[in-house]
Amino acid sequence: MAWLVVRLAISMSLLYTASAVFEDQVGKFDWRQQFIGKVRFALFDTHSQASKKLLLATDKNVFASLNSRTGDLFWRHVDKTGPEGHIDALLMYGQDAVVVVGNGRLLRSWETTVGGLKWETVLDTGSFQAAALVGVQDFVKYVAVLKKSAISLHDLSSGSEIWVENLPDSDSVQYQTIYSGGNGLVLVLGVVPNSHIVIVEYKIEDGEIMNKKSVEAAWMSSLESSCAVVSSGILLCVDQITQSLYTLPLQSAEQTEMRQIHLQTLDLEVVSGFRPVLTSTQPNPAQPPLSEFFLQLSPDHHILLQFKDGLIAPLRDFNPAYLAAFATSGERTVAAVMSPKNDTACSINLFSADTGRRHLDTTIIYHMDPNGGKPNRLYVHAFLKKDDSVGYRVMVQTEDLALTFLQQPGRVVWMREEALADVVTMEMVDLPFTGTQAELEGEFGKKAAIQDGLLPMVLKRLSSQFILLQAWLAHLWKLFYDARKPRSSVKNEVTIDVLSRDEFNLQKMMLMVTASGKLFGIDSKSGTILWKQYLENIQPNSVFKLIVQRTTAHFPHPPQCTLLIKNKDTGLGSLYVFNPIFGKKSQISVPALPRPILQTLLLPVIDQDYAKVLLLIDDQYKVTAFPSTKNVLQQLQDTASSIFFYLVDSSQGKLSGFRLRKDLSTELIWEVVIPTEVQKIVAVKGKRANEHVHSQGRVMGDRSVLYKYLNPNLLAVITESTDTHQERSFVGIILIDGVTGRIVHEAVQRKARGPVHFVHSENWVVYVYWNSKFRRNEFSVLELFEGAELYNSTVFSSLDRPHPPQVLQQSYIFPAPINTLEATLTEKGITSRHLLVGLPSGNILSLPKLFLDPRRPEMVSEQSREENLIPYAPEMPIREEWFINYNQTVSRVRGIYTAPSGLESTCLVVAYGLDIYQSRVFPSKQFDVLKDDYDYILISSVLFGLFFATMISKRLAEVKLLNRAWR
Amino acid sequence: MTAPGGGALATRGGATVRRMKWSLELSLGNSRSRGDRQSKDGDVMYPVGYSDKPVPDTSVQEADRNLVEKRCWDVALGPLKQIPMNLFIMYMSGNTISIFPIMMVCMMAWRPIQALMSMSATFKLLESSSQQWLQGLVYLIGNLLGSALAVYKCQSMGLLPTHSSDWLAFIEPPQRLEIMGGGMVM
Repeated sequence: MAWLVVRLAISMSLLYTASAVFEDQVGKFDWRQQFIGKVRFALFDTHSQASKKLLLATDKNVFASLNSRTGDLFWRHVDKTGPEGHIDALLMYGQDAVVVVGNGRLLRSWETTVGGLKWETVLDTGSFQAAALVGVQDFVKYVAVLKKSAISLHDLSSGSEIWVENLPDSDSVQYQTIYSGGNGLVLVLGVVPNSHIVIVEYKIEDGEIMNKKSVEAAWMSSLESSCAVVSSGILLCVDQITQSLYTLPLQSAEQTEMRQIHLQTLDLEVVSGFRPVLTSTQPNPAQPPLSEFFLQLSPDHHILLQFKDGLIAPLRDFNPAYLAAFATSGERTVAAVMSPKNDTACSINLFSADTGRRHLDTTIIYHMDPNGGKPNRLYVHAFLKKDDSVGYRVMVQTEDLALTFLQQPGRVVWMREEALADVVTMEMVDLPFTGTQAELEGEFGKKAAIQDGLLPMVLKRLSSQFILLQAWLAHLWKLFYDARKPRSSVKNEVTIDVLSRDEFNLQKMMLMVTASGKLFGIDSKSGTILWKQYLENIQPNSVFKLIVQRTTAHFPHPPQCTLLIKNKDTGLGSLYVFNPIFGKKSQISVPALPRPILQTLLLPVIDQDYAKVLLLIDDQYKVTAFPSTKNVLQQLQDTASSIFFYLVDSSQGKLSGFRLRKDLSTELIWEVVIPTEVQKIVAVKGKRANEHVHSQGRVMGDRSVLYKYLNPNLLAVITESTDTHQERSFVGIILIDGVTGRIVHEAVQRKARGPVHFVHSENWVVYVYWNSKFRRNEFSVLELFEGAELYNSTVFSSLDRPHPPQVLQQSYIFPAPINTLEATLTEKGITSRHLLVGLPSGNILSLPKLFLDPRRPEMVSEQSREENLIPYAPEMPIREEWFINYNQTVSRVRGIYTAPSGLESTCLVVAYGLDIYQSRVFPSKQFDVLKDDYDYILISSVLFGLFFATMISKRLAEVKLLNRAWR
Repeated sequence: MTAPGGGALATRGGATVRRMKWSLELSLGNSRSRGDRQSKDGDVMYPVGYSDKPVPDTSVQEADRNLVEKRCWDVALGPLKQIPMNLFIMYMSGNTISIFPIMMVCMMAWRPIQALMSMSATFKLLESSSQQWLQGLVYLIGNLLGSALAVYKCQSMGLLPTHSSDWLAFIEPPQRLEIMGGGMVM
């Protein structure tokens, strides 16, 4: 009996596992790419020869392991954002990787093969300074963590704390580094800036202070940046002011001051303004470091030096050399140096560390991407070949956060674009027609028609028809050719040249702007990066705004996008105009922007080349037009009186509206002040410019119409209280007309606080906030209606709206926190809308707008049933089959972008965060497309069968008729 | 070689004897099928045009006139007589929109329209009556009533675009007069 119940339960549970995507649809029209961010620490697993692992810790608080043969992720751990999850140090010994997280809050050990956590220890409070592996007698057993005022020693295999000791005089001395040479002692080095160095020796067994001394060093400000330990415990420091190196044996009792060696005696000189860098290497933590080290004297000058018997001797001078790094394999340590070869390539060579001699046949040519940045980090993986020579592979990180993995003689094994881990803004642009389609378009272009006569036109027509025929034949031939090959070997290489718009415009070009200033053009169907462009000299906190000025619809004119980059510090903006399909910078002259830019405004006015006009508003409320031809200025003068713009200054709590004057100056026409002492403006959103609303109203149960209040100039302003006490905090929403400044509606949610996510579309606003009284997330929806009659059905003017709209509102409980919110968008707006909710779990929920409808009745009536209104229920469901990305979670989803496709039923969705996910959603199912599993064979065989049956029966009937006639 | 060929010909020849493709028989004696009927009646031969049924007297009499009148009224009142039946069908089919009620309504609407279109033919039918115009009017009214009933049925089924919601899809989005844009200070 029991097993029967169990089987019943299993079969019942199977009934409920129906999901939104069928198994065979996985990956059919969606893809995901996972990223890690800017690499801060990278270690190669040198534990075994065949190891393919590469451990990386990044500034996105990600700790990951890559396959060094393919560049794919083995595993990835995404920690908390912000300082709490910040990875301070990464150490590796054998199979274990030790990570210090959150400014010395946690010490973790990871198993590197599968990425499992071995142990985790919570450390004492105090800001993290340094961590080091500590070895005793050729065996690494401990890890030491140095905090601002304490040092602790932990067992490497279990994480248990062996001892923790307070550091002497920690309020005056800045302890910065740890050194252990495998002789049973841990040395902690501290500095009192511009005074002296403090060295404290601890015994490994019990943490007893064995020795403590201080050495005069009046020139020193920081140990970390200017010092290194070489040879058997020699502290080596460099100072650019005195142009000298200083040495100090750490454990000798007799020498009480640092020995100065002038760089001049070595024929060296530090370039003024450059802070010299010392790089040493300690291949085994249980043994002292090597006596060889690199000294960097200028951005492209490295020198390999050797410390021997108290003397420093140069081994080899690398001038010019961008980057240098040590690597160890077995007992042999090598140095890899990257030197410029020519303008576009660098050569990397391997040198033996102890002699500085070049290894033969070890050159790797690194071709620099002309659209990329300069290399700035070099990670070397050295290994012993079968003939006992040293082979190596390198990973190069460039300024634009591209990771390139190279092997001899310069073959790129893989490449990762880690800039995509931080997408700031994006757009989707239609692809152009194919060359042949464009040819036809060009033939009927207006310019061609006027110039040519009748006969040339006919010839042109014939030739273009011939080209079309040729293309069609080529296509057929390709189909035939591909069909013969097995399916797996047919590889659809996507390149810019073969890109063309598909039948339903489902494939588009994704333009992505990343925080590092790198632009990407990505094919939305496959996720292939088609072009990339690194914009140099972008400040890290710049603000970007991407504007599509001309789409691909105006054939002989190339599409045109403009990126406004605003430097937050200076406030000055610059324009970068480019072709979104090919990524090439446009030759159009851009206006100089001498004043800080406050906002932009894209007008529907087009110039004679079909580019939309962009207005840039500077801090004196003067307007610059781009493009600013005579034609445009004339058009602007004509339409100036109907061009309005608004600015929201959240620091002053001011919303202001302006009207354009004919001379491109502006006049203030309204101003709303929201007192900043009480509440601050968090966000403001208008409606999307490319949004279409098909239905002007809603049909009621009695078949009358409730007309929507579709004000294209309506703005939703979200405010949050400055008082964050949970009893007094509130979230406010103000609906304001952007032309007249008239407040259409105002609502306050008491005992609520942000972060508020909201969508403003059609006649509704949906916003999400945290209810601090009931400690839950809530959705609230506002819908605006004009009533049973339209005031003016032909034109909409904000200046002539005598009747205020009817406002309906309802709230719901949402059982999960939210990262981001967006609404689907379709070509004509006929399809019902869904809300796309990015959850912190990485799932993207497609929530029907039907559930967020303030007309949902509490009591079901005949009329509400007629309207298909769901009865009101305060809880909003989350159904697993509504997750559009099944198990392809998007880590730290930060934004969702939706774009209409050529099919009314289909909306393209891109979710970006740490990962990028692209898919399609069908809010009203695929009503305009045959299903994927549509049985073409059955239907056509039935059709043919019927056709032949009629033919045969017709013939038979004829025969029979004739026979009967003869009877 | 020749022997079987000759045999086949012979059989074909035999078939020709039994059944021909066609034949014209001038004598009645050895007819097989067509002559059977007549042979029952005996061997009497009637002249061409002879009919053995008596021909009725076709001259118009006074009693017939009343009959014609009655017949014409029947035609004229036909549509009116159908109305109760239609009402019953309407009541039975209900107001749900499914294939059968739709078919009923279509029939109900189509029949009067068809009748109204063939009005002239009906008038010809009524030509012989003395109250031709009155009958025509009654016929017209009956059909109009029938179609009105169909329209009423459509209305009660909600098939007529009489509500503003029926015209909602045709409302063009209003043209916007102002251009507006902007945002938070960057």
